[in-house]
Amino acid sequence: MSDDLLLSLLWFVPLVGAVIVLLIPKNAVALVRGFSLGVTLVTLVLSLLAYRAYTAEGSLAQASLQERAKNNAVERLDNNSTSATHVVEEVVGRPSGKGDLLVRKPWIPSFNIQYYLGVDGISLSLVLLTGFVSVLAALASFSIEKHVRGFFSLFLLLLACMMGVFMALDLILFYVFFEVMLLPMYFLIAIWGGDNREYAAIKFLLYTLFGSVFILVAILALYFWPGEPTLAIAGAKAFTAHTFDVPAIAQAAAETNYYGSQIQQWVFLLFFIGFCVKLPSFPFHTWLPDAHVQAPTPISMILAGVLLKIGGYGLIRLAWPLAPVGASEWAYAAAALGVVSILYGALAAMAQTDFKKLVAYSSVSHMGYVTLGMAAMNFTPDPRYYGYGVNGAMFMMIAHGITSTGMFFLVGVIYERAHTRDLNKLGGLMNIMPVYGAVSILIFFGSMGLPGLCGFWAEVMAILAIFNYDITLAVLAAAAVILTAGYILWTVQRVFLGKKEDWKGLPDLTFREIVIAAPLCLFTVLLGVYPNSLMSWMSPSVDQVVGNIAKANQASGRGAKTALIPPAVVKPR
Amino acid sequence: MTWQVGLYVAAVLIPLAAFAVELFGGRILQRRNAYVATGAIGLSFVLSLVGFLTYFVSAEGVFAHHGGEEHASAPADPGHAEAKHEAGHETAKAEGGHDDQLAKSEGHEPASAHHGGKIPPPPLAWTWSGDWISVGGGMSGPQTPGLSIPIGVHIDNLAAIMFLMVTFIATLIHIYSMGYMSEDPRYPRFFTYLSLFCFSMLGLIASANIFMIFVFWELVGVCSYFLIGFWYEEKKNSDAANKAFITNRVGDVGMLIGLGLIWSSLGTFNINEINRGLRAPDGTFNKITGESGDSVILKNQETGETHLDPVTGMPHTIPMWMLTVAGLGVFAGCVGKSAQFPLHVWLPDAMAGPTPVSAMVHAATMVAAGVYLVGRFFPLFTEPALLYIAYTGGITLFIAATIAVVQTDYKKVLAYSTVSQLGFMMLGLGVGGRSAGLFHLLTHAFFKALLFLGAGSVYHAVHTYEMPFLGGLQKKMKWTALTMLAATLAISGVPLFSGFYSKDAILAASIHMVFEEGRLEHILLFVLPAVGAAITAFYMFRMWFLVFSGESRGYPEGYLEQQEQERIAREAEEAAEAAAARAAHGDHGHGHDHAHAAHDAHGHDDHGAAHAAHGSHGGHDHHHDPHPAKHAHESGPFMLLPLLILAVPTIIIGYPLTILPIPGFHPILEQLISYGQPIAVADPGNSHGLALIASLIIATVGIGLGILYYGPWPALRKFDAKKAAIRFAPIYHFLKHKWYFDELYNAVLIQPTLKLARWISGFDKVAVDGIVNGSAWLTERVSRISGKFDFRFVDGMVNGIADVVYKTGNAGRSLQTGKLRNYLMFLAVAVVGLFAGVFAWVMK
Repeated sequence: MSDDLLLSLLWFVPLVGAVIVLLIPKNAVALVRGFSLGVTLVTLVLSLLAYRAYTAEGSLAQASLQERAKNNAVERLDNNSTSATHVVEEVVGRPSGKGDLLVRKPWIPSFNIQYYLGVDGISLSLVLLTGFVSVLAALASFSIEKHVRGFFSLFLLLLACMMGVFMALDLILFYVFFEVMLLPMYFLIAIWGGDNREYAAIKFLLYTLFGSVFILVAILALYFWPGEPTLAIAGAKAFTAHTFDVPAIAQAAAETNYYGSQIQQWVFLLFFIGFCVKLPSFPFHTWLPDAHVQAPTPISMILAGVLLKIGGYGLIRLAWPLAPVGASEWAYAAAALGVVSILYGALAAMAQTDFKKLVAYSSVSHMGYVTLGMAAMNFTPDPRYYGYGVNGAMFMMIAHGITSTGMFFLVGVIYERAHTRDLNKLGGLMNIMPVYGAVSILIFFGSMGLPGLCGFWAEVMAILAIFNYDITLAVLAAAAVILTAGYILWTVQRVFLGKKEDWKGLPDLTFREIVIAAPLCLFTVLLGVYPNSLMSWMSPSVDQVVGNIAKANQASGRGAKTALIPPAVVKPR
Repeated sequence: MTWQVGLYVAAVLIPLAAFAVELFGGRILQRRNAYVATGAIGLSFVLSLVGFLTYFVSAEGVFAHHGGEEHASAPADPGHAEAKHEAGHETAKAEGGHDDQLAKSEGHEPASAHHGGKIPPPPLAWTWSGDWISVGGGMSGPQTPGLSIPIGVHIDNLAAIMFLMVTFIATLIHIYSMGYMSEDPRYPRFFTYLSLFCFSMLGLIASANIFMIFVFWELVGVCSYFLIGFWYEEKKNSDAANKAFITNRVGDVGMLIGLGLIWSSLGTFNINEINRGLRAPDGTFNKITGESGDSVILKNQETGETHLDPVTGMPHTIPMWMLTVAGLGVFAGCVGKSAQFPLHVWLPDAMAGPTPVSAMVHAATMVAAGVYLVGRFFPLFTEPALLYIAYTGGITLFIAATIAVVQTDYKKVLAYSTVSQLGFMMLGLGVGGRSAGLFHLLTHAFFKALLFLGAGSVYHAVHTYEMPFLGGLQKKMKWTALTMLAATLAISGVPLFSGFYSKDAILAASIHMVFEEGRLEHILLFVLPAVGAAITAFYMFRMWFLVFSGESRGYPEGYLEQQEQERIAREAEEAAEAAAARAAHGDHGHGHDHAHAAHDAHGHDDHGAAHAAHGSHGGHDHHHDPHPAKHAHESGPFMLLPLLILAVPTIIIGYPLTILPIPGFHPILEQLISYGQPIAVADPGNSHGLALIASLIIATVGIGLGILYYGPWPALRKFDAKKAAIRFAPIYHFLKHKWYFDELYNAVLIQPTLKLARWISGFDKVAVDGIVNGSAWLTERVSRISGKFDFRFVDGMVNGIADVVYKTGNAGRSLQTGKLRNYLMFLAVAVVGLFAGVFAWVMK
């Protein structure tokens, strides 16, 4: 299958599925469910095909995005234009663009907007996660009884948009997917949610819209920026903005002075705030507990497993690479915010009595590691340490995608049976539902960062990386693992241990639920024991991003903070 | 990977495989899980034995004395060879001169030109390593290597000995558990946890780098958590499990900080590399003086070359102060795991777990891991760090020993004695007696495991832990009493028993530091262990006398009835709580009435069954006998055999041949440990003579007091403990409340944290979310007002948002099926149409 078609199908198949679902007769509920599950499965298979193509020996897709962009160069656009501001690119080696998992076509040429999809290790890992989580969420959706067709239609629409967001390499295309995604999410919460669903849904919608305004402004600022007047003459190559092309802007930011420090600081700040809402990071996180508590189980799974990752993906794909110098100016504040999120989320989680709210706050805490890992910009003298931070951030996104999906699913399981999520009322479930208990403990401990399970690598990479950036932040971030252990163990104790007669007779996991839980458990262990199953193909792309950020900062003569240890005067005793 | 490494990797992985089999096959295997687990650890033991023998056969110069110059190249005394033979360690060719050893330094050119001195050979080690993950390869140039987090195995003499000890004790405890746990309904699961623990513990010992040690560190911690909370129905037990895990995590944070500092400065996790890289052949740090004070630079110890980082091209350095902090960080992990002051509080509570677990995890193996790590990573610790370690050990051993004196629960006595003994080891390490501390680790492992297993045997017979109700058990349980007596003699430091030799070595090290080096300001480092050792002898004999000698005292009048009433009251309270919760739940009225009905039904149906289950599990009803000790009987062979086997090393492991340690001779085990030890270690020299005298006085005083207070011979009973308790009431209560650590931590740490958590949760709701809701409300208001002023402005952006807030709030509420379908259909078709158009156009 041509890679152009493959990438396009990844979002187009669920979209078509969303329409077809509505055409199925209303009463054929089983058919609706089966069909939707089938669509998610097809999407998963497509993402696995992309994975195979990416990781194949000698795959062209492993080249950097910039290189691949050249091979897929669009023909000279808009010949009639008199202005010199449009992108001019040579047409080289067009055929070599086949099989490199990059699609690039003009879309709205007058504004230089492209239909531009591509995956590298970073986005591919998230595409796989999306495919995987959506299959599980579709399975978990079988217990939805209300307006089944509408539900699955919106669900598939959501899936299409998420896939699009992770693959888009044109800022406008990204923004379109990003915004369209809000609509199905809004309705999924507002219609199928809990008691206070309207409030939660509108809060989610408005809050995210609020964030996307910042993102939009940043995109436009990049587009219209005339170039740093003093520096452009001196060192810049023939790059002249007026493009939404992510790799091109990233390259310009890394290799030229076109985007000076000043504008980069603004761009970074705008992106950062915008994506912090989505992530969510303190203090923009309050939509999350509400949205989670109100959303139905499968939507919580999607929300925690995939949607939050869009915030992190935005940071790693846009905020940092497109404004690397500006980022290093803000890095300390961002890292501090990350640490605050970690501690704040953990403490808030500790005080919750609602099981689902607790898990929601734990997401805030865990996403703090993403910010922290990105922001620990310690590339002098050794950028590999920063590489660990960013890899840790990425690993956290995948690991959290797995564990939080699992946790929300497990909360949903017990809520369906006991009709309560109150931690003080639950108890003794280990003896009543042993399989459920065992699965829960595994996934909760994975989230707690127990070695051998996936959360460990995420936390430990981010924490270790920050040590030669700032020791205070490092110590605070490390100390947070006590709080994490505290709220997780306390939850386990209150829900599973002890003995409580109230819940005698609750049935253990059904076959369908085990089918959902098993792969989550598998990946929790696999990523913990053998992190290279992810790192081996993901981290080269992360390293490229880190390398570009480091290059940009070194070129502009500013490392982040100086290394903690001054190069000592070597004077043997 | 050499075959020896393969051997040890297999020894680590076999219990893991057994764990997997037991976990997934548990439903089929049922009680046969026990055989899988025991077989696996037994196999690991065999492999460890083979490895141990191979190691000491191939390691040359084991019995050449290290550290002391005059012994360095002397061939070993033939007497040693015989000693080995007697001990069953038919191991090494003892002839190994200095010159032979040099050949083992693996082709490194001796850099005598640079340092002038003789370079001690690296000890034989079987190693293997690879990358677990590696990041940033080629980031700073095409050929630059990545920065890796390694996975690696490092087997040296210490690891070989530890492997043998752990697998030996673990095997015996597996066998013991087949008897002790046989009545338990979760018998198969118990062995599943044990297998996981064995894997983690062996992995910890085999690890080549501090990162992997951290990984296994947490894994043994989680196994300990599961095992402490094995009977999780009781809240007390799961509380203890939580306390253990969280307290350990506090230490682990320190360790993580140490790891971060080491890694970010030195660029490696490899313990051996750091051990040898930090110090010059004469044992001093490779110091350099920079603008911001002293730093230590990483060098190759053999060649004296500076390590240059392949990426930065710069040497790896770490400031002196940071090295101290890193050392203390790593030590913090050890403080948590080895239950040292101030994190010692979890270990006594951990006795909530089954007794075999206490013996294995919380006495012999896991809690010793902290001591092991300090010994393993010894050259990392700077002078101030070592002093801190010594004082931590001293304070711990003293506090724990004093608390043990007033405990009435014999398992708690053993728990505090474990804490105290671990303090001894830490002190030994801290004053520079590396091999002394590790030697005590090994002897302690045997006699403490024996004590705990004996305690389990007693409990199995009498079903109470309270010593005041027991007495006279030696008549009923002869073998248990005798073996425990041997262990008691060992821990009290009576000559001929293993504990004597190791405690003597520690005292020697401390005397050496305080007196011979003339650091009299640290006299406490001698006083604390001396006093502590006397107290140890006292409370251990107190325990043995109270349990085994004299006549059975039995429960006091009304005790059993009171217990019964308390149990009933507790159950009633729990039931009331449940009812209250149910009522409160009903009040919320979220329309879960249906669910309630269902639960009530279930509740009634299953009530009887639950009670029956509870009865069979917890209540040993047939023990309502007022004299628990009278009807006791000796335990069965599964439990007795391990006791008898453990008694052998408890007695002989110290020094099997020579009755009294002759100065200049070291016990074999200590000799094995000190082989190839890091050169930073000082030689305790001739302090052994002084130590010998001190030990004898200490043991006499302690045991003498024990006899005077609790002895079985009325003629010698000069003191009455009850009167003493009354006379020294304030001290008694202070000790009884364990120095009020729990109360202090609760008031200073736990409650404030919970308060902060609640405050933050409230803050989140009121302030952070308040701002959000407030601004939404404000926007709406403003839009309304402005709407009155200027109708056109209503279309403005701000108002638009408010409008959406307002309308959608209503719309969401009124969405009906019909409307919804139309709306969705419209939305979907529109979006799909849009995308499809784009798609078709793009793909053409």
